[in-house]
Amino acid sequence: MTTAKKTNHFPLPNSDNPKSNGMHPLKTLTQRITEAYGPSGYEQVVRDLIRDEIKGFADEVRVDALGNLIARKKGSGPTPRKKVMLAAHMDEIGVIITHLDEKGFARFAPIGGVFPLTLYGQRCRFANGVVGVFGREAKDATATEVTLNKLFIDVGATSKDDARVGVGDPAGFWRDFSDLGNRIVSKAMDDRIGCVVLIEVLKQLKKSPHDVYFVFTVQEEVGLRGATTSAYGVQPDLALAVDVTLTGDTPEANTMAVQLGKGPAIKVKDAGMLAHPAVKNLLAETAREAKIPYQFEVLTGGTTDAMAMQTTREGVPAGCLSVPTRYVHTPSEMIDFGDLQNAIKLLVAVLGKPIKLD
Amino acid sequence: MSAKEFLKKLSEAHGVSGYEHAIREMVIAEFEPFADEITVTPVGSVIALKRGAGPSTALKMGKVLIEGHMDEIGLMVTDIEQGFLRFTQVGGFDVRVLLSQEVIVHGKQELRGIIGARPPHVLTAAEREKVIPMSDLWIDVGLPEARVRELVQVGDLVTYAREMIELKNNLVAGKSFDDRAAVVCVAEALKSLATMKHAWDVYAVANVQEEVGFAGAITSTFQINPDVAIAIDVSHADQPNASEINAVPLGGGMGIAVGPNIHPLVHEKLTEVAKANEISFKVLAEPGHTGTDAWVMQIAREGIPTGLIDIPLRYMHTSVETISITDVERIGRLLALFCASLDDKFMRQLRGEATEEATRKGTRKGAKVTRKNAKGR
Repeated sequence: MTTAKKTNHFPLPNSDNPKSNGMHPLKTLTQRITEAYGPSGYEQVVRDLIRDEIKGFADEVRVDALGNLIARKKGSGPTPRKKVMLAAHMDEIGVIITHLDEKGFARFAPIGGVFPLTLYGQRCRFANGVVGVFGREAKDATATEVTLNKLFIDVGATSKDDARVGVGDPAGFWRDFSDLGNRIVSKAMDDRIGCVVLIEVLKQLKKSPHDVYFVFTVQEEVGLRGATTSAYGVQPDLALAVDVTLTGDTPEANTMAVQLGKGPAIKVKDAGMLAHPAVKNLLAETAREAKIPYQFEVLTGGTTDAMAMQTTREGVPAGCLSVPTRYVHTPSEMIDFGDLQNAIKLLVAVLGKPIKLD
Repeated sequence: MSAKEFLKKLSEAHGVSGYEHAIREMVIAEFEPFADEITVTPVGSVIALKRGAGPSTALKMGKVLIEGHMDEIGLMVTDIEQGFLRFTQVGGFDVRVLLSQEVIVHGKQELRGIIGARPPHVLTAAEREKVIPMSDLWIDVGLPEARVRELVQVGDLVTYAREMIELKNNLVAGKSFDDRAAVVCVAEALKSLATMKHAWDVYAVANVQEEVGFAGAITSTFQINPDVAIAIDVSHADQPNASEINAVPLGGGMGIAVGPNIHPLVHEKLTEVAKANEISFKVLAEPGHTGTDAWVMQIAREGIPTGLIDIPLRYMHTSVETISITDVERIGRLLALFCASLDDKFMRQLRGEATEEATRKGTRKGAKVTRKNAKGR
């Protein structure tokens, strides 16, 4: 067991007072976590960053066989205490080199759901720092007909030997973080923003009647694999994923009632699972009591770690709190800063009180 | 309650995947007089245990699981537009027949509604030929927008408003027979078992969330860890324009599935018991994923020998699903007889101890061979 030491949540290089630095400390943390390299299966950099960030705030921190980072904060209530598992995934979508030609151009396969439309002219970055540009075969194709096999990665190599990357090397998208005021934009908001929420909740949660497990999962984007094994290990009584969801608030968007800036979204359903009605109600009632804005989410494509946690062992009541996000699975995922703060506030409120599910 | 009465009650009640509470209470009330113990799993499945007499030798107690799923497909509100409700589906509807259905919107109060679309008079000839996609349909509850917003919110559920009707020849038509008819089969089996001797513990299960990814069956099978599991689900009955292959005549019995999802010894035992008791059935070839709870039960924990019985049904995933009460009663009887037939010998067979070939394999090379269940296939 470690001794919890009170330190500055967001140590900044140049100032004791983070506010004087211009950017909100929560934005600084978001920048650091989202810009880190970590496609599915290669989450180590992100894991080290998070482990460092939460040092001193948990009673026990461990890493399981798949690489999930599991931080336990012991409850203060009478035993037997309920075990609550929060899951946010550390991995991001990316690409992996499948072939390198004589000139040093790389062909690639997707890691997770990569849309060809989002790639041309964008950049990716490999573990060793090499940056590549996505180019496309222009001959015999119009710009609207992009498929992954007509794209390639150009790492600026003069020859195959000069490429510094090879078959099997994975890369994540490379874009830096931008602070747009009310809104912030970055690569890998999906789901580093969930990681940021968990980090902050762990720091702000003074006391909980429950044992709370903050689980930073691996390999969500390739089949919820980290949540599957970590939930089996933790055996929670209640499981909540924190992830991003789509919105319907952009010009000519698909019909969806979620908007940026209207509060965190409480999941009712997505393509993989139905949130346990009692979990959904718990989140909504807590939000109403604490006067935190929220919206209900019905997502018709995609799912989260909650799907895997729900069917663990004998079954776990599961739900999901989502941060509404525009342009999901592109290098520029945008969220509302107020939604982020309210998501943190809501989870702190939920975990601070006794939970009864029925 | 008779099979027909119980089916009517279950069919006319509402319990979309994930929201099965009303159905769960009905199932508990019906199973309770015939069970020794009833538990509800963390995700909401009902498990009724009827204890068996136990093995006559040193073998462990056998456990057989029989199940149907109690959830139904449903619609869910995604947005409110000028007082009309846009919706998506929970599970997979026959979207060709959504238009003009009567529905119930489960908001702050129950609201009757109908599913509407633009009339044919204003459509182009090409548009008239096509099935109207769900995105062009809406639900009309007749209220002004402000009142709708007070009573309905995004995520509220919508179900068909449909009473069960009786056709000739002991056939009935209604909603949600997939798979509440199977829950009735399980109840019928429990009733019959009350008058039979059986050695194995019988776990009668009504599972949740089959239509959205088998969450109930995955977890209840883990909890029970049975030696044999039998799923009961619906399959397509014979009808005009249907291929003869794999279609079971309505009222003609049932389908007993065979294929990689099904343990050969379980299939053999089911057909053996059916033949011995002159219960009619048809063998159904299932070359892969059966689309039923059997698919996930088979790979629970270390693996479970699994069987599948199909109730013949016409017009699947519509509000006029049609089945024969005679088939339902017959399946209930077969399930009871099957459970009662399970004995020490069958347990040894499942473990691969009772066949000559297995014995030979077990002693080759002198290595110690540990046999768990299901190695006899």
